Amino acid sequence: MEITELVGAVHHAAWLPWAVQYFFLIAISTTALLLALPGFVMGRETALPRARLALMTAVTTGITAPIALLADLHQPGRFWEFFAYTNASSWMAWGAWFVPAYVGLLVAFAWAVHRPAFHAWGNEDWRFAKLFRWLSLGGSANGFARPLGIAATIAAILVLTYTGAEVYVVRSRPLWNTPFLPWQFLATGFVGALGVMLVLERVLTRSAGLEAELNRRLALWLAVVGALGAAWFVVAVSGISPRHSEALASVAGFPVWHTMATWGALTVAVTFLIATLAPARSGWATGLLAIHAAWMFRWTVFMGGQAVPKVGSGLYDAMLPTGIEGLMGVIGTFGLWLFLVIAYTTFIPWLEAGIPAGGKPAAPARPANQH
Amino acid sequence: MNMNRRGFLGAVGRVSIGAAASVAGGAGAANAAKADHIPKWGMVVDLRKCIGCQACTVACIMENDVPEDAFRTHVSVYELVKDGQDPAMVMLPRLCNHCENPPCVPVCPVEATFKAESGEVLVDASRCVGCAYCVQACPYDARFINHETQTADKCTFCFHRTQAGLLPACVETCVGGARNFGDLNDPESAVSKLLAENEVSVLRPEMQTNPNVYYIGLEDVLSGRVAGEAAYRPAHTAESVAHAEGV
Repeated sequence: MEITELVGAVHHAAWLPWAVQYFFLIAISTTALLLALPGFVMGRETALPRARLALMTAVTTGITAPIALLADLHQPGRFWEFFAYTNASSWMAWGAWFVPAYVGLLVAFAWAVHRPAFHAWGNEDWRFAKLFRWLSLGGSANGFARPLGIAATIAAILVLTYTGAEVYVVRSRPLWNTPFLPWQFLATGFVGALGVMLVLERVLTRSAGLEAELNRRLALWLAVVGALGAAWFVVAVSGISPRHSEALASVAGFPVWHTMATWGALTVAVTFLIATLAPARSGWATGLLAIHAAWMFRWTVFMGGQAVPKVGSGLYDAMLPTGIEGLMGVIGTFGLWLFLVIAYTTFIPWLEAGIPAGGKPAAPARPANQH
Repeated sequence: MNMNRRGFLGAVGRVSIGAAASVAGGAGAANAAKADHIPKWGMVVDLRKCIGCQACTVACIMENDVPEDAFRTHVSVYELVKDGQDPAMVMLPRLCNHCENPPCVPVCPVEATFKAESGEVLVDASRCVGCAYCVQACPYDARFINHETQTADKCTFCFHRTQAGLLPACVETCVGGARNFGDLNDPESAVSKLLAENEVSVLRPEMQTNPNVYYIGLEDVLSGRVAGEAAYRPAHTAESVAHAEGV
């Protein structure tokens, strides 16, 4: 039977590019925090260079992400209703509690980690000493950093859980309604976080050893992303799961989806190869490619997913739903993040961040060369 | 309470002065007489009678001040070519299905969307934060963000009219009498009789939403996502729509 839809309504994307930015940035932030734990919570001295970059990444993206989320609300002035009328059956309602808790704990953790340096800078005789005395709250003790880091980690895991579940439970969109999706968000989050850290490493520290270490971790997570993608495809093609088969069928006939799938797979494969074969000389390339891969995955899931009609035929025009204005929103979000990175590297003694008091083990857990 | 179109017109014919008010008052009196009776509103769309005139689409827009770029209801029109047969034009009026198990309700983070006692799925626009989670969750593409109010918007079964004893605008204006509206809890209502006397279908039964909008004469291939080509889409995806999925 041949069917042609002669008259049908076009449904515009309801989640706009700011939603993509939110899911992209919050995944980077939460996974970057996990990458900071060996240095700042477990007390591994050799992990400190990575942990410093990871914490900077987590804080800057963690502050930017909720702003992007607010921008996607059509009634941003009513955000307080999330807390006044919480609907316990909605993952989004839970997220409204998890996100501020996460950002608050993350910032408190970062402050605690940097407090000794704030205090030291505040005691020096220079122009901004007063500012740093204020920032240190008059002391240098930070024994509470470790419990704060653990609490922030729990909040990060809750954020990762809710962001994955929030999209996964939408049965009306087969492309979203897959248990693979939360794991794909997690794995691509690590890819994005390591990409950002590689770029920051190239700009700020230029340490070949750290570059190679980050690239090795990136290759590992790219392999996980590739494996998850391949598993989704096998499940969809095999027919063992009708919803996965339906998801594949809903996009398989469209050249634009062929292009996106090929582009995504090639990006992951090429980045993996470069990171594996030349880990010490490729930070710029692998970093930028990794950021691109993590961002493109979310753009494809959210904008591409909304381009698939639930009842009608063909595809909707949802790839760039708000035209140049939407694109400017994306660029503006990156601009805010860049501003925060500049502010962080200017006003926070991030290179002096050490293992918090009470966080350093009496003896190394294992020889340093195994880190 | 019999609230199908013909019943309504019959009621209009029996009153002489203050027609609308009398109908509203009559309905109120009927409800008062059956104080313990709670209606459950539903619609039965007889596709054999729909001619795709879009009068319902226009009536809904005028009645509910629907913005230019959206619809609370519309009639999808398809050309079906079965093997070796001439093309057939098939109409499919679409609207909120006012599901018994509405996926839009549990996802709303602020409980702005809810199911009324008489079965309508409604949105409290004064509480809606415009997060559009309900728009994503609806399996029928029946919700949208109203860019004039910046809140979720959808068919209400013309709640303001039914409260006054009137029919929904789309039902009242339906030229062919394809749209039938009434109380599914009343076995004597026209919709209950239509359900009893005809084989009916619902859209996307696999979603297990238990819709309260039923169709008589619905082709199976149109009950879910219609796997066909769209004759028109904006230029951005013009290439894409020319290569639709297989049927």
